[in-house]
Amino acid sequence: MRNYENLVIVKPTLTAEEIQASIKAVEETITSNGGEIAATDSMGMRKLAYPLAKNERGYFHVIYYSAAPSAISEIERRFRINEDILRFVTIKYDTNREVKAWHQLVQKAQKKSAAPTTEAKTESPKVEEAAEAAAE
Amino acid sequence: MAERRKYKKRYCKYCEAKVDFMDYKDVGALRFSLSERYKIMPRRLTGNCKRHQDMISTVIKRARAAALVPYTVTRKAVVTAPFENLK
Repeated sequence: MRNYENLVIVKPTLTAEEIQASIKAVEETITSNGGEIAATDSMGMRKLAYPLAKNERGYFHVIYYSAAPSAISEIERRFRINEDILRFVTIKYDTNREVKAWHQLVQKAQKKSAAPTTEAKTESPKVEEAAEAAAE
Repeated sequence: MAERRKYKKRYCKYCEAKVDFMDYKDVGALRFSLSERYKIMPRRLTGNCKRHQDMISTVIKRARAAALVPYTVTRKAVVTAPFENLK
């Protein structure tokens, strides 16, 4: 098993739910090929530095995972077939120094993903309250 | 011989900060080694050491592939404030 990182740029023309669905599909292709996802980090909708397939913006999502080196070619082949993905970048973390950096990045991503969920929990009752108020 | 000492003695800023690893997603940190036209700055101007110049060049090339940093800036495709979406 070796440590990898994948950056995936999803089409901006999709709706929010479709983006989440396609990200889930991306994560499934990794897990179904024997990869273990350590952390994910969604960088959100960003402006691209140059247009990709006539799109000026894109939804950036980063996945940190460990997988067997032989599985990477299959994962990349699946990414090429997927039409929702504008661009993907696979990075290998091989040397001791890089592996150390990978663990730090995973911790950072986990902290970042842990923080918004607590916010979401606090936000969701408010939304319900608003819905109730609207119903009344 | 006197003309040789035209520039100030430069040092590697990455060595001073003891940078062991650079992340290509951290675009703000790459700005130091990029020119106005987003070319990779040469070592003789930035004073980077060989080891860190090699690191920064691979990292910038990765960021270019990921559409975080432009490959070129021409008159036609002018990037107005490309780091505006950085927090």
